[in-house]
Amino acid sequence: MLNIQTRQEGNASVVTIQGKVNFEVTAQLRDVIRDTVTTHQPKLLVINLEGVSFIDSSGLGLLVAARNSVDKNNGKLHLCCLPAQVKKTFDQTNLTNYFSIFASEQDALRGA
Amino acid sequence: MSKGVVLVVDDEAQIRDILSFYLKRSGYQVLIAENGARAMAEMAKAQPDLILSDLRMPEMSGDELCRRVKGDPATRDTYFVLVSAMDGSASKIGGLNLGADDMIAKPFHAQEVLAKVESAFRIIAMQKEIKRQNQELTRFRERVTAELALAASLQMGLLPTVPGSLPGFRYTHRYLPAEGIGGDIYTILPLPEGGLALMLADVSGHGVTAALISAMVKTSFESQVRLGGGPLDWAQGMNRYLALNTLAEQFATAFLARLDPVQSEMRYVVAGHEAPFRLPGGARGGLHRPEPLTGQGFMLGIDEGLPFSERTAPMQRGDRLILYTDGLVEVEREDRRLLGAEGLIKVCAELPADADAAADRIIEAARDFNEPAPFTDDVTLVLLDQVD
Repeated sequence: MLNIQTRQEGNASVVTIQGKVNFEVTAQLRDVIRDTVTTHQPKLLVINLEGVSFIDSSGLGLLVAARNSVDKNNGKLHLCCLPAQVKKTFDQTNLTNYFSIFASEQDALRGA
Repeated sequence: MSKGVVLVVDDEAQIRDILSFYLKRSGYQVLIAENGARAMAEMAKAQPDLILSDLRMPEMSGDELCRRVKGDPATRDTYFVLVSAMDGSASKIGGLNLGADDMIAKPFHAQEVLAKVESAFRIIAMQKEIKRQNQELTRFRERVTAELALAASLQMGLLPTVPGSLPGFRYTHRYLPAEGIGGDIYTILPLPEGGLALMLADVSGHGVTAALISAMVKTSFESQVRLGGGPLDWAQGMNRYLALNTLAEQFATAFLARLDPVQSEMRYVVAGHEAPFRLPGGARGGLHRPEPLTGQGFMLGIDEGLPFSERTAPMQRGDRLILYTDGLVEVEREDRRLLGAEGLIKVCAELPADADAAADRIIEAARDFNEPAPFTDDVTLVLLDQVD
């Protein structure tokens, strides 16, 4: 089961994801992210991955696509709170260097 | 053309005549029978859409007829209306419990019966439509399944034939797509100047889309290798091609290598892929310490401008390479533990000399570890031995 929550913090949108991000749920997550980006056109999109137990290649693909769509709007995508298992996947695919990754949601919102 | 066929079953001739008259006038074809037994005989000749049957009749009563019609798969879809002299809800429920689709209480108005028949035929039409759509869906599913099976065998044909060999090398693989068709692909090509080019890739996602892209990955690898150069050039070329020709969410992790038996070395690029293992002397069997061939490269197809880096490792006679896709080690068990690369290293530390026996051992060990969870992602395992 995937649990997705979104909220606005000033010019920023925060998407919080909990659960397993795999092929079965990417469509659901894709819709939420697309809606958030088109509705709010945020200067900053923060995706909080703290509650994510597992992410597969389709999930990674989705995050890459999210960054592309935010880039197109001259916005930024910040990821935060990667659990160890997810961090490992990011390291292995070198995506740690592709995304701006922050330790806490506060840091991600400040962009520091 | 009639609006449908109604079988009227009643032991009173007068009732048969009245119903018959009104139904015919409304455009129905009418069959008649004076009891259940006669009705069964009538049904053997022509199949009615609807049966209007009295409850109390000699020889075979209406409830028995209803039980028989509804109990036979050939006739159970026939709409059955029981006409009963007994009034009150108890007998109505009793009739419906027999499997009758509706009840009419006696005495009745012919108009009431007609209205019931009209509404029954609307339901019958709907049921027929649902049946037709179901058949259509079944046919569609059969066609898709057949096409997928064809595509799957085509995809199998894209993989090297195993066990295979090239001068100085022997190789084998195990390929287990999650959905009959998958996004894993690997290729081994002999190089004109000796040695070989090797690629294992895992396309994001599953199923048909991933399979289509896996074919693109293979083709672009082959054309890069034809252009010459080494794994770094190949990775850059493939990355550009895939970034430009696939959608944003589609990319591939890959391991690309060029093996040179004369120099006893291998150049390789790890593009976001699981680090393969090199087992020095592993082709001879026995105990070995698997060495992960790590690297830091992005997945292919994310962005044109992303950098890759090439590394070098020794590769000598008697050495064995083990390549795999993450589906092999990333099955989540109930206790949420994964076999992982660490677990696989332990499995690979002691393997038989025969590459096929070794491949079976690895798959078996991964399955045993995951038990009872099955593989959920595409799984590919490749063993390449540099022969003595």
